[in-house]
Amino acid sequence: MSLFLSRPRRQWAACLLALTAALAVPAVQAQTLKIGAPLALTGGLADEGKKQQVAYDMWLKRVNAAGGITVGGKKVKVELITYDYQTNEQRASQIAEKLITQDKVDVLTAPFGSGHTKVVAGVAERYGVPVVASVASSESVFNQGYKFLFGTLAPNGGLTDALVKVVTKQMPTVKKIALLGREDVFPKSMAASMADAAKRAGIEIVYNELYPVSTMDFSSPLSKMRSVKPDWIFMSGYTKDLILARKQMADLGVTAPVITMITGPAYREFAEALGPLAENVTSATWWSPAVSFKSDDVFGSTQAFVDDFRARGEKGEPDYVHASAAAALIAVQKAAEIAGSLDKTKLRDALAALELKTFYGPIDFTGNGMNAARELPIIQVQGGRAVVLAPEAIRQSTLRAVK
Amino acid sequence: MASHWRRIGIGLWLLGVAAAPLSGDNYVIKIATFVAFYGALALSWNFIGGYAGYPSFATAAFVGLGSYAGALCQNAGVPMVLSWGLAAGVTAIAAAALGFVVLRLRGHYFAIGSIALVEILSLIASWWSGLTGGGEGLNVTILPGGPVFIARFFLYAMLAIVVLALVATVLVERGRLGFGLRCIAQNEDAAEMVGVPTTLYKVLAFVLSGVFCGAAGAAYASWVAYIAPTDAFSILLTVKVPVMVLLGGPGTVFGPLLGSSALVLLEETVWARFLEFHQAILGAVIVALIFFLPGGLLGLAGRVRKSA
Repeated sequence: MSLFLSRPRRQWAACLLALTAALAVPAVQAQTLKIGAPLALTGGLADEGKKQQVAYDMWLKRVNAAGGITVGGKKVKVELITYDYQTNEQRASQIAEKLITQDKVDVLTAPFGSGHTKVVAGVAERYGVPVVASVASSESVFNQGYKFLFGTLAPNGGLTDALVKVVTKQMPTVKKIALLGREDVFPKSMAASMADAAKRAGIEIVYNELYPVSTMDFSSPLSKMRSVKPDWIFMSGYTKDLILARKQMADLGVTAPVITMITGPAYREFAEALGPLAENVTSATWWSPAVSFKSDDVFGSTQAFVDDFRARGEKGEPDYVHASAAAALIAVQKAAEIAGSLDKTKLRDALAALELKTFYGPIDFTGNGMNAARELPIIQVQGGRAVVLAPEAIRQSTLRAVK
Repeated sequence: MASHWRRIGIGLWLLGVAAAPLSGDNYVIKIATFVAFYGALALSWNFIGGYAGYPSFATAAFVGLGSYAGALCQNAGVPMVLSWGLAAGVTAIAAAALGFVVLRLRGHYFAIGSIALVEILSLIASWWSGLTGGGEGLNVTILPGGPVFIARFFLYAMLAIVVLALVATVLVERGRLGFGLRCIAQNEDAAEMVGVPTTLYKVLAFVLSGVFCGAAGAAYASWVAYIAPTDAFSILLTVKVPVMVLLGGPGTVFGPLLGSSALVLLEETVWARFLEFHQAILGAVIVALIFFLPGGLLGLAGRVRKSA
């Protein structure tokens, strides 16, 4: 019996020791811009979290190559402190607090998605630490009156307006739309803003429902959809839902000339998992590697960003998550350079006043902290990869009907 | 476990959590608040899972219900602490009504029935978007007063809930209810035969296992200032709490507190050290602890004394 006793005790002693070590405050360092990044490296959003991590690292490499950033005439080193919050809300709020109070970061980035962005922003707001969110686009995140929250994505409305424009122009026969949205922050608001845009364009809404998170069977909404014979099926959700629903649509014989899945085609995984079924599915996105912006940021141009990405040996092409995440850090960098200080309030004011041209596109935070609306790319899967249908300047192909 | 040891243990636990602000570090306070939060949940689960021996997975249902009830009351203008009380009341009523239904099931069937409660309430919160904001979640106004004040306020609020749950535990253990519940755990049919009002006692235990979760959930909602269906009704939480009680020592007063603080601190340590494998390590630790410590950490303490 006593054999068993000593071991757990030793474990406990070790745990306690490790805990004290973990809680010890790190020593004061020379001036460094500290950026805290809670990331979902495990759990449901791990794929997205890793994309953010890759983009942050790409930015950091460029900055380090330039010897840091210039703040108030001095070169300042940049330190990126990341923790895995396990796609867990409680952990996200805990880590935000840890980054602020223990690691003493000057600025935070938000995790993937509107919900967890809200949690982190709620903590940061109490402490007056600026947060730049790279993957939150729902108004409901930004209408809380938070002073320290900024987001690099443009409002959802911009996506749906651009989409309606492309479809009505290139396929004027589309008169009836069926909408199916996930009951979740971003997909729900996308479905609502699509309904709005369709109404304004005179497209009749013949079906409009939401499905709960973790739905595994779409046969009932899909069958109802089939009975109303839409010309356009619009679905919003996370990639896994969309892949599942697209497969079930094929099984049930539900189809329409236009099938939009927000934001499936923006992700390489979507076309890979669906193969021929992904063909001609459309989506709107905030960024595509096909855009070409010249910029005075660390990357210099969209092409340089894409090249960096490929040079790292990453699979496929970067998507909007990568680009927006890197753009968030560019915004932080520029704000620090303009403010000439790492003071949190000055950083916040500089962010609010920022007007930038980046490889990702223009950044100009509006009153509520969101990036200003602009013309957003519409994409379609053609020949296994996403091509751009609009805006005209970067168009690669025209809208094709789903067979 | 001798009662003076128990008192010392509980006293030290409460003092330890209450002393967190001395560190001057809000992150330490936050961890202490989570220790208290889980302590309250573990004490709650102990009524139905520890004393009555019913493997309930309804913890997240109560926490989620409480957080939504509290947040809605607060948004309707009810003062914060009062809205926690109302949330506890709502949770108690719901637990009584639901308990009457699911407590007809036993063993595995009850476990599945209780986990279904979590899913059903989560779906309701998700669908009834007019009331709950659906998938967009519900925002609660951030308490003014600055981060230092807020951190301390919620620590002591959670601690107060723990103390209430402790008092209830002690009263139950000393009273007829505790005796009756232990009889039910050993043999429900026999208990009924000798005159234990089993249905009533089980429902009471279920209500007790809900009411403090409801209050803690409401306090959590005010603390985080934002709740959404998936996180409020988290399956992970509903599984973690029984593990904590089993780790500490089920059917005891101090066990749930010991287990919850041990698991939270363990998670904290393992997670900070092993970024890549923390979940695997944590799983292995849990399996090992439960294999080698069937009576929980308190059972271990008992064995030490016997062999000494």
